[in-house]
Amino acid sequence: MHFKVRAAAKEDCKDISRMIMELAVYENMPDQVKTSHEDLERDGFSPNPFYECLIAEVPDEHKTKDGYTVVGYALYFYTYSTWKGRSVYMEDLYVMPDFRGKGIGTGLMAKVAQVGVEKQCVRLQLSVLDWNKPSLDFYIAKGAEDLTAKEGWHFLRFHGQTLDTLAKEAPKD
Amino acid sequence: MIDFKIRKAESKDVPDILRLIKELAKYEDMEDQVILTEKDLLEDGFGDHPFYHCIVAEVPSEKQSNNGPVVIGFAMYYFTYDPWIGKLLYLEDFFVMEEYRGFGIGSEILKLLSHTAVKTRCSSMHFIVAEGNQASIEFYKRRGAADLSLEEGWRLFKIDKSSLLKMSSGPEE
Repeated sequence: MHFKVRAAAKEDCKDISRMIMELAVYENMPDQVKTSHEDLERDGFSPNPFYECLIAEVPDEHKTKDGYTVVGYALYFYTYSTWKGRSVYMEDLYVMPDFRGKGIGTGLMAKVAQVGVEKQCVRLQLSVLDWNKPSLDFYIAKGAEDLTAKEGWHFLRFHGQTLDTLAKEAPKD
Repeated sequence: MIDFKIRKAESKDVPDILRLIKELAKYEDMEDQVILTEKDLLEDGFGDHPFYHCIVAEVPSEKQSNNGPVVIGFAMYYFTYDPWIGKLLYLEDFFVMEEYRGFGIGSEILKLLSHTAVKTRCSSMHFIVAEGNQASIEFYKRRGAADLSLEEGWRLFKIDKSSLLKMSSGPEE
């Protein structure tokens, strides 16, 4: 199947928002999605964007039963390692179920890798849920190493109330 | 009690920041993995497109010396994006020199970072910790941090430059 990978434009945010929800459903966490397509527009397409996004689209003759031609996306941003310097972090990679197995996921990820190399990034990082075997296999086949298994890294966060509590005790400006 | 001050890092702090990065890497038994130089830090943090933000903690120097304050701790962070909840503050490195621990400097840094997160409309502050680093895990958990690797099963993966190059030069569709 022919497909095209291109940089997302502001107008694509409705499609991206739709697919974000589809990915959340796949990960069994749909009630955790709080962003709207307006948030995505503001945060990705203002002078200081917080993420970049690539989308995969198919020609009209292959559109979905609901009429969508945008069938996949990769959302990423730049991070920094104090050991190695510039890195790229791929936050989301998603292809609609009916369009899997056609190289679209590989195509999206290859483009993220290309962007990363052009920006002199030394590595790409991502995270995967431990039960998500198809994704684990996909990334490992591309050379990904599990740093949680190998080096014991765990993700931690301060969220909502715990963040506010800490913030209230900060020294005044 | 000791007298200390926390402030935004300036370009003149780069040599001290690199010194502390190496001390933190040594604490994590990974000193030989730091390949970043002062030139990289300067360009990447204080150039046209900063990849990171940094705050430093300093103490007054010895009364008998003529030197200015001494930098004894730092935190490096940047902004990332979660498509479900929007902007996040990501804490990349956080370190206080051993002889200055136990005085509340780390606590104050964390509170200031939390305040920055809330002020800049971030929903959450994320970071990673090695599971062997019990002292740090306890420090964060005491203040309300949740371990997403344990609670939700997230695993961190990396893909190195050689694999990125291989991916990005793959066949085009």
